[in-house]
Amino acid sequence: MNFDIIIKYLNGTSSSEEKQQFFAWIEENPENKNEFLELKKIWALTEKTDEDESTALALFHNSAKKHNNKSLLFKALKQAAIYILLIGIGGILSWFVLSSDKVSENEIYASNYTVTAPQGQMTNVELPDGTLVMLNSRSTISYDNDFSHGKREVTLNGEAFFDVQKDQEHPFIVKSPLLDIKVYGTSFNIEAYPEDNSISATLVDGSISVLNKDGLELTKLVPGEKARYTATDNKLIVSEVNTDMFVSWKKGLITFRNEKLEDIAKKIERWYNVEIVIRNKQLGKELYFGTILKNKPIDQILEVFKLTTSLKYEIVPRANEPTLIYWD
Amino acid sequence: MLKKNSDTISPEFLLFKAGNEKVFDKIFRINYNKVTGFCNQFIFDLDKSKSITQEAFLKLWLNRDKVQTENGIYSFLYTAAKTECLNYLRHKKIEKKYLQKSIEEKEYLLTHDIIKSFNFDEIHFTELEKAIQKAIEELPDRCREVFLKSRSEGKKNREIAEELGIAVKSVETNMTRALKILRKRLAEFLTVLIVLILGF
Repeated sequence: MNFDIIIKYLNGTSSSEEKQQFFAWIEENPENKNEFLELKKIWALTEKTDEDESTALALFHNSAKKHNNKSLLFKALKQAAIYILLIGIGGILSWFVLSSDKVSENEIYASNYTVTAPQGQMTNVELPDGTLVMLNSRSTISYDNDFSHGKREVTLNGEAFFDVQKDQEHPFIVKSPLLDIKVYGTSFNIEAYPEDNSISATLVDGSISVLNKDGLELTKLVPGEKARYTATDNKLIVSEVNTDMFVSWKKGLITFRNEKLEDIAKKIERWYNVEIVIRNKQLGKELYFGTILKNKPIDQILEVFKLTTSLKYEIVPRANEPTLIYWD
Repeated sequence: MLKKNSDTISPEFLLFKAGNEKVFDKIFRINYNKVTGFCNQFIFDLDKSKSITQEAFLKLWLNRDKVQTENGIYSFLYTAAKTECLNYLRHKKIEKKYLQKSIEEKEYLLTHDIIKSFNFDEIHFTELEKAIQKAIEELPDRCREVFLKSRSEGKKNREIAEELGIAVKSVETNMTRALKILRKRLAEFLTVLIVLILGF
């Protein structure tokens, strides 16, 4: 096949005779069609038109506004319908709905930015000041609009590793339900899952202060120290630790906190592109608490589960299909 | 100690989700001609392609809270464009029913198959885009020059020949070579996608 005919077809410049030739080639065998399919994909994804973006953008804003107005009108009509209904039920109720609606509108304007790492996954976040945060599974970090204006405050629920941008003038504060941490530019790990009723801060580099919720400094940490506070007995304990262990999750360690094995199976299926069949229904409901290293080969991960749960497994490699794994 | 990478959630992305117009405009400007170009490769109607792209951006704006990552923006845009293109093609086919088995019917079927086979799932699409960029960078110099001038700058073979001071025939040869190399480099990746789609 003359490749020029394919290129001409891609370019849309083939004559009708060349088109006939092209389709004769396509119909010759499925491999030819596949070859063209691949070429066309490359072609389409590298294509760019030469239209004026500003004109297009103006058009976009116009239709977005129209759409907004339309949906606002729809909302207003819907609300009116609700009010008419409520007036029928009673004036007090409708007044209540009206005032609570106002509250939720205000909340939209107070811009707050929140990032949550999904279960079983880590999420990297960059803050407006350049600080980098690695959120562990099921952890949430949020900050206000004020952050960009020098008020470096974030709220953390869960576990995160912080690499704080140095700025002597603007201290960086991590707020958690039990304690706050004040920082000037450093690397540290905080573990503050709400259900734990405790908070741990481990310092890797630099210096941080541990504050109570009134902003009073309780202690200062030096690198290699860990502060752990428990709410139940109101105790703050500072100990020396091997920091490698405390920040190891960021190298691909995933901590499962009382998750069902059937849910963990779903994650493993995704990470390793395998198919897991749980043959023992009860096993699926068994809870697992522990940490695994995500980047290890699958058989090593399964060995860990075998040692720590009642799980037994069988691996069945398959050609052209994901490997099948039975859990018993 | 921590490093920024393409997965890092940036302040801009959070502003995008919060509905910041400046950030959205930037995304629009960067992607507008790419998405329009993509559509036009399948429906060959520039005005229609432009309006499909507008529609895709409107969908993105209205559903920005559902987008989870920066790469998710592109996968959302292309998925929306793909869906709209398929709708348009189906509509066209009904209009042209009498053309059965003609060249146009064959073209329709081929185009339909190709656009359907695109997998804009976030992870796949991000990897495919990266792989294409890398494969282009790794082309032999002349090949890359010709390919980029033709694809990104939309230049005709004759113009490229004049600019580079080579024969038109040599432009054609280099283009053929570029495509053959790219396909070879990306075949594994593109074939994997086809297998995945057939599996559904």
